[in-house]
Amino acid sequence: MSDRQRSERSPELSKGTRRLDLATAFTYVVWIMFTVSAFLLATTFTGVYHPSVPAPFTFDGLTAVIWAIVTFLSGIVHSYSLRYMKSDRNVGDFYLKIFGFTLIVMALVAVDHVALFAIAWLAMSLVMASLIGHVRSWPQALEAAKLARIYFLASTAALTAALAVTAWSTETTSISGVLANLDTVPRDVVFLASALLVLAAMLQSALFPFHTWLMSSMTAPTPASALMHAGFVNAGGILLTRFAPVVSAEIAVMSLIAVVGAFSAILGQALMSVQTDVKGKLGGSTVAQMGFMVLQCGLGFFSAAIAHLILHGLYKAYLFLSNGAAVERGKPMKPRKTSTPILLATSLVTAAAGGVVFAVLTGKTTLAFDTRLLLIVVVVLTTLHAARDVLGRSNLYMSVRLATLPVLVMIALTAYAVLFNFISTMLDDLPATYAPTELTVAHLAIALAFTVAYVAAEAGWHTRSKRLYVALANQAQPHPKTVLTDRGEYDD
Amino acid sequence: MTDGEKNVDEVVEEAAETLASVWPLHSFVAANPLSGYEDRGFHEALELSHRRHGAEPYPDVDTLERAWSQDNIDDDVLRSKLDKYDVELEPEDAFQRLEQARSERPGKEVGSGNRDVDRLTAKWLSMHLDEGQAGWSMPCRDEGFYQAWRHLASYDGEIPEVDGSDDLPGSAEEAVADALDGYGRERQIEICRHHLESLSGWSGYIRRRNQDPHDPWKEEAPVTLTDYLAVRFELADLLEASIEPPAELKETESQPLQRAFLEAWEDSYRRQLLQKLKSRDDAEEETDADAKLVFCIDTRSEVIRRKIEQEGAYDTHGYAGFFGVPMLHEPRGDDHPYAACPPIVEPEHHVESKIRLAERQKVRLNRHYNAAITASRKHLKSMKNNVVAAFPFVEGAGTAYGAAMAVRTMTPGLLHRAYDRVKDVVGRPAEFTQPDIRAGEDSEGERGNDFQDVGEGIPLEARVEIAEDAFLLMGWKELPPVVAFVGHASETTNNAFDSSLDCGACAGQPGGPNAKVLAEILNDVKVRSRLRERGHEIPEDTVFVAGQHNTTTDEVTLYTDEAPPGQDELLKQLEDDVDAARELAAEERRSSLHRVTEDDGAAESERRAFDWAETQPEWGLAGNAAFVVAPRDYTRDVDLEGRVFLHSYDWESDPEAEALEAILAGPAVVTQMINNHYYFATVDDSVYGSGSKTTQNPVGNAMVYQGNAGDIMTGLPRESLRKTDDETYHDPLRLTTVVKAPRSHLEEALGGSDRVKQLFDNGWMHLVVVDPDQDDDAFLYQKGMNWVETHVEATEPEVEPEPRSKTLD
Repeated sequence: MSDRQRSERSPELSKGTRRLDLATAFTYVVWIMFTVSAFLLATTFTGVYHPSVPAPFTFDGLTAVIWAIVTFLSGIVHSYSLRYMKSDRNVGDFYLKIFGFTLIVMALVAVDHVALFAIAWLAMSLVMASLIGHVRSWPQALEAAKLARIYFLASTAALTAALAVTAWSTETTSISGVLANLDTVPRDVVFLASALLVLAAMLQSALFPFHTWLMSSMTAPTPASALMHAGFVNAGGILLTRFAPVVSAEIAVMSLIAVVGAFSAILGQALMSVQTDVKGKLGGSTVAQMGFMVLQCGLGFFSAAIAHLILHGLYKAYLFLSNGAAVERGKPMKPRKTSTPILLATSLVTAAAGGVVFAVLTGKTTLAFDTRLLLIVVVVLTTLHAARDVLGRSNLYMSVRLATLPVLVMIALTAYAVLFNFISTMLDDLPATYAPTELTVAHLAIALAFTVAYVAAEAGWHTRSKRLYVALANQAQPHPKTVLTDRGEYDD
Repeated sequence: MTDGEKNVDEVVEEAAETLASVWPLHSFVAANPLSGYEDRGFHEALELSHRRHGAEPYPDVDTLERAWSQDNIDDDVLRSKLDKYDVELEPEDAFQRLEQARSERPGKEVGSGNRDVDRLTAKWLSMHLDEGQAGWSMPCRDEGFYQAWRHLASYDGEIPEVDGSDDLPGSAEEAVADALDGYGRERQIEICRHHLESLSGWSGYIRRRNQDPHDPWKEEAPVTLTDYLAVRFELADLLEASIEPPAELKETESQPLQRAFLEAWEDSYRRQLLQKLKSRDDAEEETDADAKLVFCIDTRSEVIRRKIEQEGAYDTHGYAGFFGVPMLHEPRGDDHPYAACPPIVEPEHHVESKIRLAERQKVRLNRHYNAAITASRKHLKSMKNNVVAAFPFVEGAGTAYGAAMAVRTMTPGLLHRAYDRVKDVVGRPAEFTQPDIRAGEDSEGERGNDFQDVGEGIPLEARVEIAEDAFLLMGWKELPPVVAFVGHASETTNNAFDSSLDCGACAGQPGGPNAKVLAEILNDVKVRSRLRERGHEIPEDTVFVAGQHNTTTDEVTLYTDEAPPGQDELLKQLEDDVDAARELAAEERRSSLHRVTEDDGAAESERRAFDWAETQPEWGLAGNAAFVVAPRDYTRDVDLEGRVFLHSYDWESDPEAEALEAILAGPAVVTQMINNHYYFATVDDSVYGSGSKTTQNPVGNAMVYQGNAGDIMTGLPRESLRKTDDETYHDPLRLTTVVKAPRSHLEEALGGSDRVKQLFDNGWMHLVVVDPDQDDDAFLYQKGMNWVETHVEATEPEVEPEPRSKTLD
């Protein structure tokens, strides 16, 4: 036996091994919870078995869906971290936190009591903040955790206030009771409560102007970031969905939600375009995607928002977990523009077809001037972009490009539609989760904003403004105290 | 231009002398972060660096304690070293003293207001130096960093009092001269050095980019150190921060103690090593070998060489892994070549890998495959980044991402095997391309290309020289029927530091292409006849073949398709034997890995290679501690634990000590760079290393932050050096170079290379000569060509002693 094989003798390692054994145990438990959740999801969906739980708990479609996705993501993060975090000094703590986080999120969607809901909300936030500050010897990480904590406390305060006024006016403490008795609540109170709920959601989902905590959270270990961007930030969407009857009571509030969401959606993508660090870009992207999710809520498509948060969660977790692959030798490149009138025409036709297929597959065929149109506009623009991009790939044969395009569009739309219809069915038993509203000026403005943003970005108009560039770069910056300028402080 | 402005460049240049270059991660170079201090003694440099940067100079007390309790630091040696430094303490008490010193040490001060200067400078640098991450890159950056910043500063709300570019000096020189006005020259240099080293990651990166004649980003976004200083000084002025450096830290009191420990550890290792070499059983009769295999001097070659030699009648050699081919290599389909030679060697030839004629069919398929992959990746990127399409894209593709995530996490092998299957069908470029060394031949010396300083292809004269160097440096006399040159590369996934595991002698690139070039050169009849004229005989039926060693999995691929016919049977046998050796090597290396999940070495090594959650795919060069320059006979069959660089050398065939001089000037310096890099990144993994991979954040396609932003981290990540946060794997020891040759011979060689002599004199590495004229006694080099005999007793192999159980309370 050589001298290099000496570790077995060291006491630290055996301690570390014990911690990892605990981590392995947690990992098994999470996967068991996933199995149970998936089973319950299937039985609930098929109607074979719907668990009934005693007060103050509930198990409805939203609970089933969120349990399944949260345990899946958490299972991945647990398994991944067994290897990824194996050298970490505090790996035991890390597992306690991510496992605890999982349980709390499961509780959040399964309680039917305003106080328990607020407590779960707070607990979930505090655990997440402590994951941001996981490396305790690193002052910038502790600052980032502190910053996040302030935002989360504000969001809990807003939530608590909203719950308190509604519970007080309805004289009930169960969430279902509150929602059922909303019509007894004065309009002003509902308005106030909905405004507070929107505020809480914006803080938690890091929407503009509350995105700085998220942009400063990259001190968290990568798997914790995955859990944050794929799980934690979704709480805003879950909140709005859970309290859909409150927020959808007023069309003005709904329009406001839509505008707030759309603004973050466009801004987030713009932040992403000027950023040069991988995790910062992903942060900008999360701000954007959360904006879109909130926009969907504001349009009355709460089940679409839930579908979005699930799919975005899978997407964003993957990108975080694979961030090490993002360093590659680049070379300066000039943007490539190959487009002919014929290709553009083909793209437009594909785009229109995409819009129709989307409407058919997701049951939005009835012709009515409501917010469904807005979602269709977004899908049309997307299909247009996909078509232009695929058809412009000059290193592929034209026949390949033409054959690939419809296949690609159909696969993507079908994959989405299947999940969307599934979620819609699951959320059928929740109040007011599908409530498209009539079109307002705000909606037209949003449609226009997306279209203009698309055209401007494609034409490169934005690149003429130095002021815009600097403004975006500054918006994307983390909080000054969370920036490591003196490398020695990393390990103080 | 005023006099002050003319002086600026000189002052900046002088201030930058101690600044270490920082290489991009995709071409990782393990360099000595204190290379600018190599003209000073090792300990003095450490002290200075500690005072200036607050860096830890020596291994921490826990590491030393562990080494001592495991007998890696010999008790007697330690006591004598403590005596040497007048430390009157028992080892146990010495540890306590160190522990105490650690807790009392003051932190580094940051001058007031300088945090914002640092942060804002870093913010602007991150935009300017981006190499393709941002979709919208910084406006005006082609005008240079200072000018671009000058145009944009007025829009930055964080910068007070600038309403337009006219509020700022017209040139960087002017800005720096203004700021330094009124200080004496020495003070100017001190101020500049302080500011350069305040963000030494970024400034080191700027320095490196400007030193590299082939960096494609230099034109896209030019930046000089003067630009950098100009922006800093302007920011300091606007933010009302002082530009004068804060007081340096005080000398560490525990220094003599730490020196004693370090030297004791080094001495203990050296004794152990020399003892092992002396005690080797050399009774075995030499037989004629069937094949010679030439590996890189890399420490990872040591294990696989030992195993291959056990499999059959094979001789193995160690040679610098770029195989003496100083080329700028351009892989197929990539119009951006890289230097495939050590950073201390200038590339002389531009060589492009082209498709071999016989492989046309496979190539067509491969081209389609590549086109499809590239198109898909670009399509995904375009969808992700689009301001509208990103949202429905995520909804359409989320399911697929989720599935991929589950597969990569739960069964890392599945995707890899599928990918391997695909590669089997579409082919691997390494198997059907060949570096085109004859490219310049037809055009009558007209070696025109975009690289002014290097010629196209390798001319015959240069080929002969490259071939002859191989003979001389390795001391070859007779050649067997098969000679294989085996370069190396690593195989990892999701690893920003992947190139740090590739061939250091090829500047963080795979070594296969270089091996192919040398094999082709030696298979060439023209070269052979010229060699014969110079007295190097190559038997007619000897074939040369290239190969590549996968250092992560220990697989060795031989490119036998490219070898000339004649030795097919031997080659077949050799392929089988390296496969068998691979199993053994992987098994041996498995035992040193942290947290293995598979039962056998081969499976474990493969899992590590393609597991996206793995932060320690292999140990790289961690553990490196010695460089042995000797015939293989001297080290054969000795288990050197993968810690030793091995260069073949036969002093008897090098009467003028020329080859030895070349080995000391080249490979020895490279091993010292690597060894010092590992040392410093281990003793302080935030100042000299890049901290834990788990909180890193890649930036600009070339570097990493820790966390959100700030200075870029330099050096190896913690996981490359430590098993866990609290337990080092790499023993931070200075390299011991062991040369087997008469002392006079070595002195002659040393006389010819000032740089390497300076490194030995100043204690950046140690030198031991094992003198065959004096019964193989070993002598340790001391400053100024003095030697001290180190007594080494050959020992009978004995039962391993029980580890002492020492307690320290």
